[in-house]
Amino acid sequence: MNEGKGRFDIMELIKKVLFTDFVKGLVITFGYNVSMDSVITVKYPDEEKWIPYRRFRGLHTLNRTADGRELCVACELCSKACPTRCITVIPMEDNTGRGISDRVAKVWKVDLVRCLFCGYCEDACPTRAVRLGREYELACFDRNCAVKNREELLRPQPVPEEMSGGVVAKARLRTTPDGIEVVADLSETRKRRV
Amino acid sequence: MTEKNDLIATKEITLHMGPQHPSMHGVLHLILDIQGEKIVHAEPDIGYLHRGTEKIAENLLYHQFVPYTDRLDYMASMSNNLAYVQSVEKLLGIEIPERAKYIRVAAAELSRIAGHLLAIGAWALDLGAMSILLYAMREREYVLDIFEMLCGSRMTLTYLRVGGVRYDFTQECKDACARMIELFPSRIDEYETILTGNRVWIQRNKGIGVLTAEQALDLGLSGPALRASGVKWDIRKDEPYLVYDRLDFDVPTGTNGDCFDRYLCRMEEIRQSMRIIRQAVRDMPDGPFNVDIPEICPPPKPDVYKNMEALIHHFKYVSQGFKAPKGEVYSSIESPKGELGVYIVSDGGEKPFRLKLRSPSFMNLQTVNAMSEGMYLADVIAIISSLDPVFGECDK
Repeated sequence: MNEGKGRFDIMELIKKVLFTDFVKGLVITFGYNVSMDSVITVKYPDEEKWIPYRRFRGLHTLNRTADGRELCVACELCSKACPTRCITVIPMEDNTGRGISDRVAKVWKVDLVRCLFCGYCEDACPTRAVRLGREYELACFDRNCAVKNREELLRPQPVPEEMSGGVVAKARLRTTPDGIEVVADLSETRKRRV
Repeated sequence: MTEKNDLIATKEITLHMGPQHPSMHGVLHLILDIQGEKIVHAEPDIGYLHRGTEKIAENLLYHQFVPYTDRLDYMASMSNNLAYVQSVEKLLGIEIPERAKYIRVAAAELSRIAGHLLAIGAWALDLGAMSILLYAMREREYVLDIFEMLCGSRMTLTYLRVGGVRYDFTQECKDACARMIELFPSRIDEYETILTGNRVWIQRNKGIGVLTAEQALDLGLSGPALRASGVKWDIRKDEPYLVYDRLDFDVPTGTNGDCFDRYLCRMEEIRQSMRIIRQAVRDMPDGPFNVDIPEICPPPKPDVYKNMEALIHHFKYVSQGFKAPKGEVYSSIESPKGELGVYIVSDGGEKPFRLKLRSPSFMNLQTVNAMSEGMYLADVIAIISSLDPVFGECDK
């Protein structure tokens, strides 16, 4: 019994001297170093950009009907549903055909500093006018640009609704006088490596 | 020995560790009384991230508070959603559909995996094994991708709602879960190969921060840290909620109650979570995923456009919420960190009169002194990491 224990200890000692515990770990880390398939990082923003899934809750968008009329009827349900009260809606009368009804939004703005991106405004909207889009690059230089107005949110989305997303697209970094933006090329995509 | 100590008389000094310390978790501020390198007394000073979450709840409708619960334990927000909506449902006395129960189990276990992965990754990083953090982040990223597919957000999920879930658990998500289950076990084994046998890891964790079962119970410890002390207490098993009583899984327990056992418990829990997800996804029945009570859960959008009754319910739900009966209710779940309970006092209105959160990080943190007394300063890092406090939850 004692001998057996002694043998066991010697084995342990040999293992310790040969650093088998370290070697085992290093084999794994070294394996990752040599195989190129294991690179999981995305070359954002210079070469690639993540296109989120369809349910993604990013920057708000205001939508139009197919013939270009605004869907928003300024019912103010979104501002009521908002837990942080970050949406301001001021309605006005307009029968020139701008919206789908005579009531349209004079002001529709969202304060992104307060927004939780919970998507309750989207759930509350009775006309599917408000959607949380797939725009997620929201950094800016001052607080004024954190408040997004109706005109800005009505612009068409860079990622079309039909695209299911969840892919990494080729992209390039563009520098403009207003700042920088990452323009994704949606025709060339790949799945994320896992 | 004592004589030697007398010769080199060191003065007891007070050391402030954190909140800016690189290996402190979040904004924990520890006030350590140390004698040389040994800890005489450790006192956590908390409150740097206090946002008055409980007070916010008193000013919001029942369904509006769910996004705030995401910000409690932001490493595993699904569990917080679950604890909150479950207690509201208990207050309302409603039973959710079977499908919603299975979806909730799968989602909560996914977030447990995400939480434990980060716990182990950050722990290893604090003790100098950086590669584990990178590997754990890679796996966590996969879980977060599933979340993005499922509910459109990676961290602040807001997936559960009172009376069910917000979006359906699609076939795509099921496939992603199946892929995860075949992918992860070998990855978890890799972590074990790197860490479990490693002499540095063993020396820094074995016998450090020992807490006996009685001490752990007296101090109100819960979660993996309690189970590592040898107490087999898991709310999923002992007071089953949702469908946990129908699922087959083991509750790992430790024997020594030291940091190493807590590490092993967490590792085993990740494996058990994957077993649960496999069963939950397999057994998930078809059917509705929201309760059929229009006051509590507004009808789906297509109905709202066509049906006047549905439109009225929709407007009423959004603008006024729903009234809960007068009463008090406490319900708790097993979150990745421990017992997460929500206590609601209702005065019959559509907002809670008072809401109390029993957050595991806060309760677990009071064991820091008992664990670190007599230990070295460097061991405090391992002790804190082994408790895995998250400060969104601790400071509320």
